[in-house]
Amino acid sequence: MRPLLHIPDGFLAPQVALALWVATAVVIGIALRRIGQRGPAAASQTILMGLSGAFIFAAQMFNFPVAAGTSGHLLGGVLAGFLLGPWAGSVVMATVIGIQALLFQDGGLLALGANIFNMGVIGTLGGTLVARGIAATLGNARRATLLGVGVAAWLSVMAAAGFTTLQLGLSGTTDVSIGLPAMLGTHALIGLGEALISVSAISFIAVSAPEIFAKSAPAAPASPRRRVAAGLIITAATVSIASLFASTSPDGLEKVATDLGFINTSQAAPFELFADYSIPGFDGVAGTALAGVIGVLAVLLVIVLLNRLASARKSS
Amino acid sequence: MLQRSSQRDARGALVAALLSILGIALLPAGSYFTYALVWLAVATAGAASGYTPLTLARRGLIALPFTLAALPLIFIRGDELIWSGALGSAQLSISGAGLRIFLTAAVKSWISVQVGTILVRRYPIESIVGSLRALKLPDAIATGAGLTVRYVELLRGEASRMLRARSARSASPVGETRERIGGTIPWRAKVTGNLAGALFLRAYARAGRVEEAATARGASGSLSLGSLIQPDTRLLLKVLLAIGAFAAITAAGALLPRI
Repeated sequence: MRPLLHIPDGFLAPQVALALWVATAVVIGIALRRIGQRGPAAASQTILMGLSGAFIFAAQMFNFPVAAGTSGHLLGGVLAGFLLGPWAGSVVMATVIGIQALLFQDGGLLALGANIFNMGVIGTLGGTLVARGIAATLGNARRATLLGVGVAAWLSVMAAAGFTTLQLGLSGTTDVSIGLPAMLGTHALIGLGEALISVSAISFIAVSAPEIFAKSAPAAPASPRRRVAAGLIITAATVSIASLFASTSPDGLEKVATDLGFINTSQAAPFELFADYSIPGFDGVAGTALAGVIGVLAVLLVIVLLNRLASARKSS
Repeated sequence: MLQRSSQRDARGALVAALLSILGIALLPAGSYFTYALVWLAVATAGAASGYTPLTLARRGLIALPFTLAALPLIFIRGDELIWSGALGSAQLSISGAGLRIFLTAAVKSWISVQVGTILVRRYPIESIVGSLRALKLPDAIATGAGLTVRYVELLRGEASRMLRARSARSASPVGETRERIGGTIPWRAKVTGNLAGALFLRAYARAGRVEEAATARGASGSLSLGSLIQPDTRLLLKVLLAIGAFAAITAAGALLPRI
């Protein structure tokens, strides 16, 4: 089972492809600046990045049988980002994706900006920041780090698949309402393989070369405020992605009420803000995802208010 | 003196490839006559590079799996209906507009892949990396890409040996294929992850050795890997020809009829 993430030329509208080239150039430019700020260490970092690029190529050969002739294999974005740092990891993935496009025609040249954006920027840079965010939120213990890597590796594949579909939708090459569930459904399994391999690889390195693992993991736990911010972003991202899979069928009580004929005895709510998880002005999946995010923010607000109330009572 | 193929200046070819692909991407939907003409031009360039049209056409099919993304448009768009009926228990309709978008994306990607194939056939990847550095590709990416290209076969060899060792140690009963043995899926994934982790440690150690060797030879800062040895004296002419090709593709797209 191979991921469908390397967009060939001809599938993206030129304006979409060029806009993503610009966005990619800006982020990779920032990444290169961050690497250059390391001074003399930048040269050795560049050598490690070059060898890591070759490693990603070679590691993509590793696969494991899943079932019925399909196999799972590594993409390596979060793995590279975690081991080298998010900025260096994204540059390595940009290089790998560029060479894949040039050498193997795996992804187009005009679409290269989009492919780097989806897998190198969103998948690697974003994925690594999520991994580190989860690890820092949970206190940076080894298990927390592995959990962070696993979740981020899965999310990186899902996010890359989601962005790919949205870009194809913007270009008029696919229907997002059909393409998005199909792509996310397929890549949910591929992401699982990615997560399992990434976690095992990091776990192996943590045991075999603890000094490299220690270098990769963030040094100190994040401040409480950053933990809350990281938790909020992770929850909002998870909820908005999960909401895309929400069933439109009635829940258990509604089904029973309909089948037994007492659904009409229900009374309407005194007021309706976002009835049936829909937001006025946003149709379909976008409205459901936004409703999920608003729900997360509302829960956070209630928790913060209750916490303040409890603190005020305690101090008085 | 004969120039080594890895030192050839690919800047003109890179500009030509990118402008051709941009020109193809800008062609309007349904310009099948133009697509055919552009493919003839690409096939001619391929023949000059030693590719038969059939081989080149087959190489272009690499993008075929991605056309799945555009396939639903044929059936879900309701405009320009060209067929509607029942297929078993399902009601199906084929939209002319959806079919046009699907065919346009498939043909454009098919031709674009062939342009890339010819580029790599004419210029080795080391030469392309060197040319990209000459086109102001940042040093960290050019050096990183140069090292990646240089060491990729070595690490792929390591990976092959690891896979052979895994295979040799996984005995399978007679009649069982290898895919049906070897524990649970998470266990298999763990073993694969361990292999990836071990390979990273080898790459890490190799990076250390490369750095030591470079330092011993007096290198400081950039390794300048992927440098262009001898610039092409006809670069300007090649770039002008590339711009001419782009203009011709765009004009053909605007003037020739569409279906």
